Amino acid sequence: MNLKHLLFAGGALLGATAAQAGGFQLTLAGQKNNGMGGVGTGLALDQAAMFYNPGALAMVRERGVQIGVNATLARQAFRAQYGGTERQLDNTVSTPFNFYAGFGPTEGKWKAGIGVYTPFGSRLDYNDNWEGRTSLTSIDLKSIFVQPTVSYALTDQLSVGAGLVVFAAGSVNLQRDIQDPAQGSIELDGKADTKFGWNAGVYFKPSDKFSLGISHRSKMDAVVSGGDVIISGVNASLANRFAARKFDVTLPLPATTTIGFGLMPTEKLTLGFDVNYATWSRYQELVFTFDAPINGQTVSRSRREYQDALTFRLGGQYQVTDALTVRLGGAFDETPVKDGFVTPETPDNDRLTATAGVSYKFGERFGIDVSAQYVNIAKRSQTQEDLLNNGVANDRVAGTYKTVAVVPGFGLNYNF
Amino acid sequence: MYTFLKKGAPALALLGLALGSCQPELEEPKASAGSADFSRYIAVGNSLTAGFMDGGLYREGQASSYPALLAQQFSRVGGGAFTQPLFTEAQANGSGYLRLAGFTAQGSPITAPVVTSLAIRGFAGNDPTKPLYTKFTEPVNNLGVPGIRMSDITTAGYGSTQGNPYFERITPDASGTQTYLQRISASNPTFFTFWLGNNDVLGFATAGGAANSITARTTFTNNANSAIDALTANGAKGVVALIPDVANIPFFTTVGPAFRSTLAQANVPSAAPFVYTTGTLAPGQPNTRVSTTVASIRDAAGTGNLLLTLTASPYLGLYGQPSGKYWRDFYQQARPSLPATIPNLATFLLVMQIDTLRPFGQTTQNPFPSTLVLDATEQTTVRTATTNFNADLTAKATAKDLAIFDANSFFNGVAANGYATNGQINSASFISGNLFSLDGVHPTPRGYAVVANEMIRVINQKYGSTIPFVDANAYRGVRFP
Repeated sequence: MNLKHLLFAGGALLGATAAQAGGFQLTLAGQKNNGMGGVGTGLALDQAAMFYNPGALAMVRERGVQIGVNATLARQAFRAQYGGTERQLDNTVSTPFNFYAGFGPTEGKWKAGIGVYTPFGSRLDYNDNWEGRTSLTSIDLKSIFVQPTVSYALTDQLSVGAGLVVFAAGSVNLQRDIQDPAQGSIELDGKADTKFGWNAGVYFKPSDKFSLGISHRSKMDAVVSGGDVIISGVNASLANRFAARKFDVTLPLPATTTIGFGLMPTEKLTLGFDVNYATWSRYQELVFTFDAPINGQTVSRSRREYQDALTFRLGGQYQVTDALTVRLGGAFDETPVKDGFVTPETPDNDRLTATAGVSYKFGERFGIDVSAQYVNIAKRSQTQEDLLNNGVANDRVAGTYKTVAVVPGFGLNYNF
Repeated sequence: MYTFLKKGAPALALLGLALGSCQPELEEPKASAGSADFSRYIAVGNSLTAGFMDGGLYREGQASSYPALLAQQFSRVGGGAFTQPLFTEAQANGSGYLRLAGFTAQGSPITAPVVTSLAIRGFAGNDPTKPLYTKFTEPVNNLGVPGIRMSDITTAGYGSTQGNPYFERITPDASGTQTYLQRISASNPTFFTFWLGNNDVLGFATAGGAANSITARTTFTNNANSAIDALTANGAKGVVALIPDVANIPFFTTVGPAFRSTLAQANVPSAAPFVYTTGTLAPGQPNTRVSTTVASIRDAAGTGNLLLTLTASPYLGLYGQPSGKYWRDFYQQARPSLPATIPNLATFLLVMQIDTLRPFGQTTQNPFPSTLVLDATEQTTVRTATTNFNADLTAKATAKDLAIFDANSFFNGVAANGYATNGQINSASFISGNLFSLDGVHPTPRGYAVVANEMIRVINQKYGSTIPFVDANAYRGVRFP
């Protein structure tokens, strides 16, 4: 008897909540930036420059500490081509956060700091018995990065900076139903290994009215070694074919390069424009390796074939009073996911984001930042014919996805 | 700070409210009938149409027959009531069927017959091999009759107790001599599916080419044309389904490769002798004994041209042993029809020229029986007949401007590449493939759902309708213990 088709394990790992820059990248790294469409590479707004452009940190006047938290409230709907009832995903909230502390002499040429942020993350819970349950039933991905940073002003106009990006903590929990006839479900749960990367940037401000920056974040791999495989509910007569208890997986994260411009037509008005390029094409295939065969196979492969993608961001802030600053912005994210390659863990498409924000300073040192984003991910359809043409019908489902998200954010900052 | 939170809380609440209303909605695609009229759907066909599976006709199979699923989808676009001759709940197991009881240590499936809650009301001529089933004489939309061949549709008395028990079951006593063709002529559909003719080749093939015969092409074509003419007499639209090549079904593709791998594991060389008979296997009938090697049996890689039937499974373990098991079984089966000149097994073996002390399947004196082997010549015969029948069905359907479901191409594709449904992997593999039931011939409920979807596809194409597809994964494959 040939049981090799019982299960095509693996196939899906990491997904996206809404409000990211395509795929599963989140750009909610600074509460002021969040209100301005996510621009920042060409600006020196605050300590979050560590993330957006370490080169600009030296030009941030204040030293300070800031912390921010966001709530990604996503609403998603799915309708399968075969089946047809509308599925609304269970509402989930993920909470990307950021923390920065910057130090350095007030009038000195250098600044140093440390940033902690969550650049990749995802959480999705599909309905029980939804059509794509053998691809995915739920995913929860978390990552925390820590970044010590130094920045140095070469001249009054030009500064450079670099950070050591430490993938300090990460976890993945992925659940799916096992293919018939074995049935049951499989849960993959693991912690990511610590990995190192870097980011660096240059910031140039030739006049009071204009600035530009370029920054680069290195590629990294998220690696889970020896994660737990938890299998339950398999038909008794087939249970011995599901002996795996540990899994390994590597998820490639893209390198990103951003060019940003800043315009300050008046002292109160700042405008920013960023173009970001992410090398998503690193993510061609998702491969899980198991310590024992799962239905006769110790390796499961699923094609992703992402392509590199651009993001365009535009935003501005206006200082209404000494204490009050208001912000607006928008962004357009190209999806890295090609047509006919959409998987349930990243029901992605091009995104349009609108943002707004407010900052209020209480005295000289203390301020709060409030932001809100509305993310509209374009409706994405793929047919069974698309999947068959691409040879990927075995691990994903044909149908239409639609996602919108609202991301309120709140931050505190204290300068000294 | 406190005041901010105090003021912020209602703002957040407002945001939550806004979010509640921003739940995206995906409109249900509009379902329309196009140029077809589904108000009275009639399904014409054989066991596949009746919902036969696991070697029997029973209520669950009936409920997931492709006509039942089609009717359920048609109801979204003006389809009317669809009555099937369902067995009652109390007699839900109908004719009885096979269930999967477990696996041997070697991983071979063990099946067991289900013999409770049957719908057997008696036996024709008190012959225990000819059961009669509880009648269902209300008008029905599903006219699927297990076992019926294209060549049977003009046979008077086919619906009598001497005919086909499944047709007899749905034939009112008053019209016992009505032919199947007359029955469908009187059905007056606005839309129909027509999938007949499988048994005209299948019976020959499943008997290893040793019994039964393939219907003559002229008979097949004349009858098919008469049936399609009758169904379209009032302008009904419909689907004509072609006949799949039976050599791809698990009944023929499972046992050979398993046998080859067992032999390989036992270090039996592929040059070991394999001797089988070809032609009709009956006392007094000449049959040829073919000497070849084990390498001729098709393996998992597809090399070798001999196909072994699922029914060969119990005898393969006896290969090379001095065994007369097959011949004893065959004798018991043939016994009622044997002439007085063959009063016992010993005589039977003598007449059949069998020496059971010789290694089974390895010598011409104790060959593997033709009933369990479909050899290359027989496969060609089957394939040629299938191609011819399909050509004639296609010609008629085209002339009548009907939709055509090319089940032959479709199942060839399934056999070659499998067929995923919503990311669920299915294949033509026996038991594990989800699509074929335990008899190795008939689909599972999942298989029938896939067939329904393929029919919907061609209906939508032909008639410009937008009938929604079925979620095939809501229907089961083989039920595991």
